[in-house]
Amino acid sequence: MNQNESLGQAFERIYALLKNIGTVIKGKDEQAKFVITALLARGHILMEDNPGTGKTVMARTLANSISGDSDQQPVIFKRIQFTPDLLPMDLLGTNIFDDDKKTFIFKKGPLFCNILLADEINRASPKVQSALLECMAENQITVGEQTYKLENMFFTIATQNPIEMEGTYPLPAAQLDRFFLKIHFGYADDDTELRIYKHYLDIQQNLENVKQVLHMDDILFLQNLVDTVFIHDEIVTAVRNVIVATRNNNDILLPASTRSGITYIKCLKAYALVNSRNFVTENDLEILAQPVLQHRLLFRTKEARDNIIKQILDVELNRLGRLSLKTSQE
Amino acid sequence: MQVSRIHSKTKVFAQLLCLGLPTLLLAGYFLRFANNFYTILENDFIKQTIYFGVGLVAAFIFYAYRFRFVTTTLVLFLVFSTIHFILQRLAFGEFNAFFASVHFLIFSILFLFGWITGYGLSRSIFYTIAWPVFLCGIQIFFVGKTTDITATKLIIAFAPVLFYTLFIIYTAMLIRNVDEDKQKLKWFISGRVLGFLLLVCLALAGILYYFQPQFKAIEKEWTARAKAKEGKGGGQSQTSMTTTNKDGSVSNANSTSLTSSLSKNQKLIFVARLDNYFPDSITPNPLYFTSSYYTKFDTAIQAFEIDPKMPDNDLFKPDPSTIPLYFARTDSTVIKNSHATKDRKIVQAEVYAVLLSPNEFIAPATAFYCQPIPVPPAFKDVYKSAYRAKMWVSDLNSAYFIYNPANNPALEDFQQERFERLRSVTSYAGVPKSFLDYYTDMPSDPDYDSIRTLATTLTQHAHTPIDKVLAIRDYFLSKDEFGQPLFAYSDNPGIPGLPSASKLNYFLFQNRKGYCAYYAGATLFMLRALHIPSRVAAGYLTVDRSSKNPGWYWFYQNQSHAWVQVFFPGYGWIDFDTTIPDVNTQQSPQPDGTPPLNMQQPFLVADGNIQSIDTTKKLLTLSVNKLLFHDKDYASPVSVPILLDISLATISRDTGVVNIQALQRNMHITAASYAEALKNSMAAPNDSIAGIFSKLNKPVPIDEIKIVVAAAKNDKTAGETVEKKSGKLNLLKIAIIFLLACLLVLLLSPSLIWQYYHTKVRTSTTHPEQPFFVHRALSFYLHQLGYQRKAISPHSFATKLDEALDTNITSFSDLYQKWKYSNTRLSDAEFNSIKPFYEQSIQQIKRKIPLKKRILAFIHINRTFHYFKNPKISSYESE
Repeated sequence: MNQNESLGQAFERIYALLKNIGTVIKGKDEQAKFVITALLARGHILMEDNPGTGKTVMARTLANSISGDSDQQPVIFKRIQFTPDLLPMDLLGTNIFDDDKKTFIFKKGPLFCNILLADEINRASPKVQSALLECMAENQITVGEQTYKLENMFFTIATQNPIEMEGTYPLPAAQLDRFFLKIHFGYADDDTELRIYKHYLDIQQNLENVKQVLHMDDILFLQNLVDTVFIHDEIVTAVRNVIVATRNNNDILLPASTRSGITYIKCLKAYALVNSRNFVTENDLEILAQPVLQHRLLFRTKEARDNIIKQILDVELNRLGRLSLKTSQE
Repeated sequence: MQVSRIHSKTKVFAQLLCLGLPTLLLAGYFLRFANNFYTILENDFIKQTIYFGVGLVAAFIFYAYRFRFVTTTLVLFLVFSTIHFILQRLAFGEFNAFFASVHFLIFSILFLFGWITGYGLSRSIFYTIAWPVFLCGIQIFFVGKTTDITATKLIIAFAPVLFYTLFIIYTAMLIRNVDEDKQKLKWFISGRVLGFLLLVCLALAGILYYFQPQFKAIEKEWTARAKAKEGKGGGQSQTSMTTTNKDGSVSNANSTSLTSSLSKNQKLIFVARLDNYFPDSITPNPLYFTSSYYTKFDTAIQAFEIDPKMPDNDLFKPDPSTIPLYFARTDSTVIKNSHATKDRKIVQAEVYAVLLSPNEFIAPATAFYCQPIPVPPAFKDVYKSAYRAKMWVSDLNSAYFIYNPANNPALEDFQQERFERLRSVTSYAGVPKSFLDYYTDMPSDPDYDSIRTLATTLTQHAHTPIDKVLAIRDYFLSKDEFGQPLFAYSDNPGIPGLPSASKLNYFLFQNRKGYCAYYAGATLFMLRALHIPSRVAAGYLTVDRSSKNPGWYWFYQNQSHAWVQVFFPGYGWIDFDTTIPDVNTQQSPQPDGTPPLNMQQPFLVADGNIQSIDTTKKLLTLSVNKLLFHDKDYASPVSVPILLDISLATISRDTGVVNIQALQRNMHITAASYAEALKNSMAAPNDSIAGIFSKLNKPVPIDEIKIVVAAAKNDKTAGETVEKKSGKLNLLKIAIIFLLACLLVLLLSPSLIWQYYHTKVRTSTTHPEQPFFVHRALSFYLHQLGYQRKAISPHSFATKLDEALDTNITSFSDLYQKWKYSNTRLSDAEFNSIKPFYEQSIQQIKRKIPLKKRILAFIHINRTFHYFKNPKISSYESE
C-alpha cells in the first residue's frame, strides 16, 4: 500500500511538473517529457536546434518549477553562453588571491548550480567542452589539488546548433556519449505558433511567475524511484538485440557501446515513470531509441543515419509483437 | 596465409544447388550426345559427367575464396599436363597405360571444363552469358550431324538448352545480387528459383502446345522437300512410285497415287528366279510381282488406298527378316481366299534383295509361303538377303498379256486360248454379294458419270466379262480419225487446269497421257462401272530379257508398276495390264549380271538364342528350340544347348553381312551348316533334338548365321501408348485437382488463420491469456484489411487506427502493454472490459469497411505472408 501511495504521489508530482512547464512552453510536451526523463535518470540532455525555438525557456522554466534548499527560492539556475574564447576556468571557477587573508581562495564558477544551461555548446573550443563533460560525468570539479563536489542535483541542459552551421566545433562522438538523450526541439506546429504570437505577453508573464511545484528532494526521491521501475526481461533482451544489431551493420561505422545499453535501460525506466507507469513498454522502447542512440553512433551515410535505427527497432518490435504466449507470460 | 571469402557458405550452397546441379544435368545430356558421335568417349557418359561435376563443385568451393583465376587454373593445367606427359611416357609399349593416358586426357579436359564453368558461374558475369551461347553452339553442331531430323527431335534437342539458358542467366544473377545478410536466404532463393522454373515451364509448354500444328506442318514440308531432292531431274516436284527407306532400301507400298509426274531410277531392286514355264516347259512365263492391292479409291485425295480390311484378303505379307533362316512361314488362308480352283498350280520363286527392304516380301500372286535362304557367299556383296516363295499361280496369268506377244505365235496362241477359257465365265451369279459389292464399289459422284457412260459405250458389243476387259484394252490401244494413237504413255502427264476436276476424267477425256497408275485406275473404274469385280495391284512388272539364264529376272526401279486384277469365279484373280507401251523410250535392256546360283542344301539348321559366345575362339553355344536336320523338322519345348564352331560362318542380318562382334548374348539367330561331315550322320526315325545332337561331333561347324530381327510389336505398343496416354491423363487430372486444392487452401488461409484467433478469443474468456489472443486476433484482422504497423510503436499505431476507424484501440493497447510487461496483474475491471471492447471494435471495423472490401482483403495472401514475415534491414549504399 505504502509503495502504491508513494507511486501515486510520484505520478502526481511529475504530472504537476509537466503541466507547469506546459503553461510556459506550448506544444512541447514530448520534449518536456524527455527533459524530465533525463533529469530523473540522473543524466543530462542535449538539445539540438536552431536558435529561438524555446530551448532556454524550457530550461529556465524547469529550474523555476523546482524549489531549492532555501524555501520559496527556486533551485540555482545558471546559464553559460559558450563562445570560442571561453576558457575552462570561466566554467569551473578559479583560485584567486585574497588580499585580506593572504591566501588563495576558490571562486566557484557557474558549474556550481543545480540546473545548468550550456548554450551553444559546440561553439566553444574543445578544451572547454571536455572540461564541462568531465564534470557532468563525475559530478565533481578538480582545480589544482583541490576537489570540489558539485550539487547533489546537477542537471545540464546543453544546446547546440546544427553541426552544419559555421563557427562550430563539433563534439566528438565519445563526448556526446555523456549526454543521455539528444533531442530535437523543432518548431511548434502552425496552430501553436499562432497561439504563441497571440499570447506572447502572457507567456512572458508566466515565465516570471512560474510556481514551484516540487522540491529538490522530491527530484532525488523520484530519481531513486526510477530504479524500482519494473522492466520485463523481453524488453531487456530487445535492448540487447538493438545494441548488438548496430554492431553488425555495415552502414554504422561506430556502433553502440555497452554503456549506451545501460543508459538506454535507465532512460526507459525514467520515461516509464514520467508517463505514470511503473513498467516499461514497447512504446518506450520505440520512442527513446532515436534520442538515446542516434548521437552515439557514427553512420556511413545520411540515409543510414535517418533510417537504420528505425529499421533495427522495427525488427525488434515485430519480434516483441509476435512473442508466443508462453514467453510473454514468463 | 589467410584468404578471405567472397561468398558465404549459404551462397556457395545455393550456387551448388541452383547452378551446379542443372549445369551437371545438361552436361550429362550433352556428353550423351557426344558419345553417339565420338568413339573415343567409349559410351561412358555417366563417368564423364562425374568428372565434369567434380571439377564444377571443386571450382565452386575453391573460388568462394578470393583466389585469382588465371594463376590457379594455369597451375592446375600444368599439373594435368605433367601427369599426362608422364603417363604417355609410361604408355610407350604398354597397352593398358595407353588407355589410362587417354582416359586421363578425357578426365582432365572434362575436369578443366567443369572447373572453368564453376569459376565462371561463381564469379564472372560475362561467363554466365557466354556459357549458354557456347552450349547452343555445340547443340547446333550435334544437330547438324544428325541425318534424320524431325521437328520433335529438334525440340527435344534444343528445349533443354533453351530452358537451361533462361534458367541459368536468371538464377546466376539472382544469386549474385542477393543480399547475403538477409534472413531466410534459403527460402528467398528457392522461392524465386522455383517460381521462375514454373513460369518458364508453363511458357515453354504453352508455346509447344500452341504451335504444335505449325511444327507438324513444317516437319511435313521438310519431308516433302527431302523427297523432292531424291527425285531425278529436280526442278519440278516429282514423286517416285517407290519410296526410299531410311537405310537406302526400297519399297513401293503406299505410292500409287495419281500425281503429275513420275520419276523412275535405273537402280536394281531385286533379282528373282521364277519356276514358271509354259506347257512346253522351255519358254519361261514371267509373272508380275505383287506387293500390295489397292481396293478403295479415296475421292478426297484422288488416290487409291490400301484397305487392310478388304474382304477375303489373299495378300500374304510376312516380314522375312523376322523368320529364321530355312524355316518357312506359310499362310494357307490365302489360297482359300483366292477362290481359285481351276487351272492353278504351285510355283516356286527365289528373290534376292538388292535395294529391296529386307522386311519387304514381294512375290507373284498368290503367295502363301516364305522361307528365308542365305545368299551364296560369292554374292554377299551384291545381295543383302534372300527368300524363297511359293505361289498358287493361275495358268492363265502371264506378263505376256500385253507385252511382246507379237512375233511369237506360241504366245499369241496362248493368249487366245486364255481368253477362250475365260469366256466360259458369263456372269457373277453365285459370288457372295458382299464380296461383289466391295469390289465393284465406286463413288456415286456425278464426276464419274462420264466414266460410266464411256464404259457402257465401249462394251456395248461385249457380252462376257473378259470381252469387256478386252474392249477397254482395245480402246486404250485404238487410233483416232487421223490414224494417230488415241492414248500415249507419259511419265509426266501434267496437271489438270481446274483444281477440282477429277484427275481420271482429265486423263480419259482431255489429256490422254499418263503412266501405269492412270491406265490401271481408269480401267478399274470402267470395270467397276460395269459391275466386274476388280482391283489395282501394285508391284513390279517382269521383263524377260535374258536368254542366258531362263527363269531369272532382273527388277529395276523403273519396273515398279500398277495394273488391274479382275476376278473370274473359279479362276480367281487374273492380272490384266492395260497400260500402253511407251513408244518414246525404247526398252533399253540392262546388262544383267550373273544370277546367284550355287544353292547348297544345308544338312543342319538350328534356330535359337545365343547362350554364350567366345569371339576369340569363335565358339558359340546356342540353345536350340527348332531344328532342321536333313530336311526334317524338329521342335522342342525345352531348348537344347549345342556348341557351334563359327570360325567359317558368314553372319548376316537384315542390313547385310556383319562381323562377329554383332553377335551378342540372348540374340535370336539361325545357324546353318553345309558341312560334309554331317552328310553321313542320319537321324533315327523318332529322334529328338537332344538325340540328334548327341550323335554329332562337337563343335559343329557352321557356315551361315542369320540374325533374326524381333517381330515388330506394333499392336502392342499402340495399346501401350493408349494406356500410357490415359495414365498420363489421369496423372494430369490428379495434379490439376491437387493444384486447385492447394490454391484453394492458399486463398482461404487468411480466413482460416483469422477464424483460429477468433475462436481462441471466444474460448478464452476467463483465461488470463485472453488479452494475448485479443491482441493477436485484432492485429491480424487489421493487418489483413490493410492496416499494417510500419515501424511505429504500438501506441502510435493504435492512435492512428483510432483516428481512421473511430475505435478505442489505444486504451486496449496500453492495457495489453501493461498485461505483457508489467509485474502487476490486471485488475478485474480491466480484465472484464477486454471482451466487450473486442466485440465492439470488430463491429466498428465491419461498419467502417464494406463487406466487398473485406472479402477482397481476405484473399490477399501476400499480406498474410507479410504478417508472419520478419522485416529486413536494408543497406544504404553511398552514392
